[in-house]
Amino acid sequence: MEEKISRYLLFRTLYEPKITFEVLAETDPSAWRVFSSYSVWLLLLPPLFSWIGAYNFGWRLGASEPLVLTPATLTLISIAYFLTLLFGFYSTAVISRWMASTYGASSSFGRHVALITIVGQPLALASVAHLFPNVFFNVVVMIPVMIWSMYLLYTGIPVALQTPPERGMLMASSLVGWLLVAAVSLLGLTMGLWAAGFGPALGV
Amino acid sequence: MSSEMTTQPQYYHDEIVKRLVQFSVAWAVLAMAAGVFVAAELLWPTLDMGQPWLSFGRLRPLHTNGIIFGFGVSALMATAFYSVQRTSHVPLFAPKLAWFLCYAWQLLVLSGGLSLLAGMNTTKEYAELEWPFDIAIALLWVSFGIVFFGTISRRKIRPIYISNWFYGALIIVIAMLHIVNNLELPVTWTKSYSLYAGAQDAIVQWWYGHNAVGFLLTGGFLGMLYYFLPKHAGRPIWSYKLSVVAFWAFTYSYIWAGPHHLHYNAIPEWVQSLGMVMSLVLLAPSWATLINGVMTVSSAWEKLKTDPALKFIVLSLAFYGLATFEGPMMAIRSVNVVSHFTDWTIGHVHSGALGWNAMITYGTFYYLMPRLVGTELYSKRLANVHFWLALAGTMLYIIAMWAAGVSQGLLWLSLDETGELAFGFRDIMSSMAPYYGLRLLAGLIFLGGTLLMAYNFYMTTRSRKTVKVEPPVVDPAFGVV
Repeated sequence: MEEKISRYLLFRTLYEPKITFEVLAETDPSAWRVFSSYSVWLLLLPPLFSWIGAYNFGWRLGASEPLVLTPATLTLISIAYFLTLLFGFYSTAVISRWMASTYGASSSFGRHVALITIVGQPLALASVAHLFPNVFFNVVVMIPVMIWSMYLLYTGIPVALQTPPERGMLMASSLVGWLLVAAVSLLGLTMGLWAAGFGPALGV
Repeated sequence: MSSEMTTQPQYYHDEIVKRLVQFSVAWAVLAMAAGVFVAAELLWPTLDMGQPWLSFGRLRPLHTNGIIFGFGVSALMATAFYSVQRTSHVPLFAPKLAWFLCYAWQLLVLSGGLSLLAGMNTTKEYAELEWPFDIAIALLWVSFGIVFFGTISRRKIRPIYISNWFYGALIIVIAMLHIVNNLELPVTWTKSYSLYAGAQDAIVQWWYGHNAVGFLLTGGFLGMLYYFLPKHAGRPIWSYKLSVVAFWAFTYSYIWAGPHHLHYNAIPEWVQSLGMVMSLVLLAPSWATLINGVMTVSSAWEKLKTDPALKFIVLSLAFYGLATFEGPMMAIRSVNVVSHFTDWTIGHVHSGALGWNAMITYGTFYYLMPRLVGTELYSKRLANVHFWLALAGTMLYIIAMWAAGVSQGLLWLSLDETGELAFGFRDIMSSMAPYYGLRLLAGLIFLGGTLLMAYNFYMTTRSRKTVKVEPPVVDPAFGVV
């Protein structure tokens, strides 16, 4: 069974997500195996693309000349980016499993890890947009991809975690609530770090 | 409990509720359209065609006042009147006064809006209307209080249900804030000056401004949530005790949070710190209510199958969670120093206004309208389409403003090698145009959904009379002695 799901993860989920969710519902994969074979590689893509893009072109915010940073700084930022994604991924999987009992969903941690991987995969692949590090371009690319990911979350939970669609809808909304809070925390944390003197030179 | 028999049957005054809902929807469409227009003006400034009344400075307060006082307050009056009758088991007290309030309030919003277009403006945010309107608001608000508390005082059931505590706090606190903040010296019929000056004026203004957000846009709508969510879900509230604790904690802590609007301004630093700390404390009662709401709806999941309206309420809770977390975070001074004066603030306001206020109201209206006229909703499919439009519009709006806000925060404060600010206002603003384009699109999507709802309600209620409902017999165990 585990071999079967491994055939679906990665690319086939992109064009046959429903079948992947159905296959996932029949299996009980090892969380570590899913993470080490798939999730971690996907999580590496955004920091990698952003390093290459920022090194070659510099970040464009609109009003200014491209913001060019030294390779050492870029490496630090990319490592921080990777760790943040890792934390976001792991905490979402843990919270998802924690919510499962409230919504009568499967408590198999491996399935939660696989589900979050499938949901996050389009975003990880779309981070290829970081190769052209213009903030607006990245926003325009990421928004439709994010809507697709939300669609995967709402359709995936009831099938993969075997709960009625209505309970799945509630669980997906609760997870969206968590992800929104996590996203806004990241913004706040970034601004707090800027104000504390890390990152760009600001007159605060 | 008194067992008096009345010879004539008494009915709830639901016709007033229906009319207020209709007015609320009409204001939603108009004020959101004004919002879309001002969003377009930020992209194409010449849209004002050289007309002062079409300028951003006049239309923007029309948008905010139309949403808060037209859409929001009409919705709060409608739902307060509907629920206070049912939780007190008596028809409205002073129904003629309630009818007067229903129409006079709309006239006030309309004439107030026109005065803003004419350029009459006190320059206080969310309190822009000039002194004649301020007096009218105070009088009408007192009428609201008489009808609401009069109904409660005649109640046939002993406990005062939690939604009424929130509506009651809305009426009392808004009256206090409105009167204190609008103490002013009239100079002419169209111009007055505030009684306060300088930093004092700013503190009073944001004590008003933030608590208007607190007790009207949060507390009032929590009243709506506490009545309509359990009704809708067919389940009692998950923890009644938690709701009462959350109410008092909310009421106590909110009132102190205003100074976070004035970080790094000419007000004492301890006042800023107090505002910040109390804003952080506020997270506890806000999320207690969130948990109560989520757990109540979690046990009623079967209902989602047949009821598109409940989806709005579920999603409104997610955005309520976001907005009430984001607010305290933005009140932290080291975050605020970057986020203040950026579009992130506008995004935050709209995650609350679109995601929380509008969605909970839409969910409630979808529940109310068919029941008020005793029929099914004209089209569940349209309501479902509306749900996805509302979600897409809100998400697009928030993300566009997050990206714009973070970029602005960085650009406003960037220093060049000589230690001077690196960018001018005009350069930064012109670079925001693409985000403003996304925001305009988001507004159009959200407005489109609201129009679908208005059409759905028109088709649901047209040529149908309001159902007459009699108060049920009160269980003697809970009756007023």
